[in-house]
Amino acid sequence: MKNLKISALLAGWMLAALPTAHAAGDAVRGAKAFDEECAECHSLKEGKNKKGPSLNAILGRKSASIADFNYSDAMRAYNQAWTAQAIDAYIKAPKKAVPGGKMKYEGLADDGARQDIIAFLSSQH
Amino acid sequence: MFGTSTPRAMHRFRMALVTLGLLASALPAHAVPSFARQTGQDCVACHVGGFGPQLTPYGIKFKLGGYTDSDGKAGHIPLSAMLVQSYTQTSKDQSADPAKGFSKNDNLSLQEISMFVAGRFSDNIGAFVQVTHAEPDRKTTLDNADLRIVKNMQIADKDTVLGISINNNPTVQDAFNTVPAWRFPYMSSELAVGSAASPLIDGALAQQVIGVSAYGFYDNHWYAELGGYNSLSKRILDDINIAPGDKIKGTSPYWRLAYFEDQRKQAYSFGIFGMDAHLLPGWTPGQTDKYRDIGIDGSYQFLGTREHVFALNGSYINERRNLDASFGAGDAEKRHGSINRLDVSGSYHFDKTYGATLALFDIRGSRDNGLYNSGEQDVGSVKASPNTRGYTVQGDWTPFGKEDSWGNGWANLRLGLQYTGYTKFNGAKNNYDGFGRNASDNNTLFAFAWFAI
Ligand code: HEC
Repeated sequence: MKNLKISALLAGWMLAALPTAHAAGDAVRGAKAFDEECAECHSLKEGKNKKGPSLNAILGRKSASIADFNYSDAMRAYNQAWTAQAIDAYIKAPKKAVPGGKMKYEGLADDGARQDIIAFLSSQH
Repeated sequence: MFGTSTPRAMHRFRMALVTLGLLASALPAHAVPSFARQTGQDCVACHVGGFGPQLTPYGIKFKLGGYTDSDGKAGHIPLSAMLVQSYTQTSKDQSADPAKGFSKNDNLSLQEISMFVAGRFSDNIGAFVQVTHAEPDRKTTLDNADLRIVKNMQIADKDTVLGISINNNPTVQDAFNTVPAWRFPYMSSELAVGSAASPLIDGALAQQVIGVSAYGFYDNHWYAELGGYNSLSKRILDDINIAPGDKIKGTSPYWRLAYFEDQRKQAYSFGIFGMDAHLLPGWTPGQTDKYRDIGIDGSYQFLGTREHVFALNGSYINERRNLDASFGAGDAEKRHGSINRLDVSGSYHFDKTYGATLALFDIRGSRDNGLYNSGEQDVGSVKASPNTRGYTVQGDWTPFGKEDSWGNGWANLRLGLQYTGYTKFNGAKNNYDGFGRNASDNNTLFAFAWFAI
């Protein structure tokens, strides 16, 4: 009886965990990918801008909304909230998503790595 | 020295900074932490190990972009300063004092105090100009200088930089840390025994010349450069405190081609470079000595998350010479000769703070009694040969320059311990100078504290 309860609990837990792990990426792997791909230009600390603006609490943040960062005209005109989908499209092909923007980044082709980075970013606020 | 965090050590460190500031303001000119301040980037973005001049792919692009990239804000002052305090010990005393005011061994030296004008002047103009006061020769001189004019554009839909570099040292304009001006070791003793010869492009013309080269960097991959060098006039050389070497007759062409690939987790480059020079020894008109240098180079960097960074750099230079002037004057035994130089180095940096580098060098050239058998103690070669081989190992510690560093963008320090060992020196392992000196007697322990603001 006890065993059954534990198994049921475990099964439920796994079912709950599985879809998030797959659909939303893995934040631990994302932290590593962030260091490999983004950290040179972006800090996660609030108020710390490098070549790019701070990415603290970026999910849901309005684009070009850090007051003391010098955005490109293209990014100012982009005018959207950074949803997971918007970030995904942007870091897949920056020049396509925001033509004329100044993020000098070639884009990350690996779908899984982008999901991981977004999962990681959503944990940073 | 400043590793402990006791109040006393901290106090001494502040004192050192204050002293550095005072020294800096006492000198006529005033940059390289200024690059960090200008761009808003941390030192570690551009420099392997968080300290110049070993460049990351990001730093390579910054340099080729003419030092002009910035955070777009006004008020950055393109000035920096640097100070190097060092200690040199050779295995065996030298036969004479290596410089006035120094001893035959165990020399503590305020090696360099430099001021830099380094940074952008406009979207299209940037510079890296160093003025150095060196204690060993007690002179303030115009050190490396590189002024750039750049234009960013799209060619066939690809990012392209077209630029002009006006500089005073062939290879100083290069961005790959494989060619002479910026090759490991980035800091070395000026009070140790130097080997007999190296190819001309390896520093022989440094600071005595002015060159203009045009370059293109296409699609962040292809780099091509073509330029020419002339000797500075004797008057200018006198004004900037540089001793005139030989005079370039006409203009010396310099060229470079490289391919570069930045995959963010790793990067590599390979290329070829070269220079031709017709020199008038001692500025005497008449016949010239002709040199043709051709080199190949390559580099690889593993960057990963930047916690463990490995870099491999190598170059091989071949020089062929035709010494009509020196042969005619009896200073060279043979008219024709050659010299080759191989350099390979591998570095590992942990946490952008702790570094270890091992480098090997191998110089081989044809024998010439006139050129190398000078009959001098320590520096002559009884074998009439420039052949020199050895290794350099270095460990270093760079506590600042990272995102969370104390005084980020201002306080910069590298402490290093370096050992250079020779297995062959000027043609022999033992008694190379004919006075009983062995190659290993020149093995050098070098410790340095390198500050920059
Ligand atoms: C070479 C430097 C560089 C790299 C590498 C880089 N970025 Fe950026 N990023 C920028 C710059 C510069 C901007 C501002 C763009 C503009 O104004 O057009 C920016 C803007 C952004 C924005 C919009 C922020 C806002 O406030 O609107 C997001 C989101 C972003 N980057 C995410 C990333 C992610 C995720 C990565 C890694 C996969 C990355 N960037 C890699 C330089 C970089």
